[in-house]
Amino acid sequence: MSDPVDRALDALAKAPTPAPALGNALEAELAALAPASPRRPARQLAIALAASLVYAGCLLAVLTIRRDLGELPRGWLVGVGAAWLGGFALPLYLALVPKRGSMTPRWQAAAALAIVLSLAFVVLGWNVHPSGPSSLYYGWERFSHGQGCLWLGLATALVPVALGSIFLRGALPIRSRWIAAALGAGGGCLGGLLLHMHCRITDRMHVGLIHGGVVVVAAVLAAIIVPRTTDRPFAD
Amino acid sequence: MADPRALMAQYQAGDAAAFRELYALAAPRLLGYLSKLSRSRAVADDLLQQTFLKIHRARAAYVAGADPLPWFYAIAHRTFLDEARRVQRGIVKTTDEVPEVAAGIDGQADDRRDEPRVDPELARAAIDALAELPVSQREAVVLTKLEGKSVAEAAEIAGTTVGAMKVRAHRGYEALRRLLGGKPKGAAA
Repeated sequence: MSDPVDRALDALAKAPTPAPALGNALEAELAALAPASPRRPARQLAIALAASLVYAGCLLAVLTIRRDLGELPRGWLVGVGAAWLGGFALPLYLALVPKRGSMTPRWQAAAALAIVLSLAFVVLGWNVHPSGPSSLYYGWERFSHGQGCLWLGLATALVPVALGSIFLRGALPIRSRWIAAALGAGGGCLGGLLLHMHCRITDRMHVGLIHGGVVVVAAVLAAIIVPRTTDRPFAD
Repeated sequence: MADPRALMAQYQAGDAAAFRELYALAAPRLLGYLSKLSRSRAVADDLLQQTFLKIHRARAAYVAGADPLPWFYAIAHRTFLDEARRVQRGIVKTTDEVPEVAAGIDGQADDRRDEPRVDPELARAAIDALAELPVSQREAVVLTKLEGKSVAEAAEIAGTTVGAMKVRAHRGYEALRRLLGGKPKGAAA
């Protein structure tokens, strides 16, 4: 080890750093130590998926299924529905379930997926939007009239995002915004699935920008709001 | 050495003695990490206490069977960055303070008497040079060269990609080489 950098770093690495005794604040908290249940990621994922799907199903039952459903290509209906469902489940999985032996969620994969989903559903809706005789066309002229779908999609996203933020409380010392964005994108996709089954406005502006936009808006809002819950144990 | 996973599980179940063992196991490592980042033993001591308070408050987030140490380091990393932001500077540093990590190393700790003696001048030079690095490079060098973490572990702790961590560690190491007067890698002997 003749390199001066290596020798200096080696000397520093060997420098002893005996830790101080526990501080008074820690001692006080330890005196009132209560058992805590460990986080069970797989169970939390199952709860989040099931509760969110039941909630979305109830909303759909109240709102009714779209009238033009039987007039639309079966392949498109099933394929896009499966894409929305996958877009809902996969980010929740990445956000809630860490790699075996690790506590840190897969924030890089979750972040990449949040970005991909946000773009993909806007592009997909803009380019592929079949219609039938009972479908509606709003176009740019009545684009703003379709904003109800945005609110409906965001309301659907509430349950998975809220559950995810409760389950991840204290688990994300770093990169919580990206995990939150993934939760939001997943919730937005559940909103998109609900709109896919409910809304019969089929122009590209509405399907692309509003239905797809739900994913973007939910991801951004979640990234802003969710860390306030998940990061609370790390606040001073 | 006790298994941190088992200790964490016992602590989570309400065993305060397990927490004390966990503290004895992890605190010296975290303190070393925080001392080298902050360059001040007093600040590092304070950050260590804050880190363990946060660990305590977030203990319900522990996933059974997971290694808690990277999570501890990530909390220490965040605590340091929060403190750095609070003082609105690039680094946490007590002005005109003799670097205590380097200043206190001319002796040996009781439990390390069998180990080779530390050269205080070299250690002081290293910590002075480290202090000249940007925080991200300093952290990369501390984690990969001093704390013995792999690049992947260091990236997980710092919340960055493996590629970015490699670049930071390499740049930091090369900057240290310039500061400590070594020859750049690849230069003719």
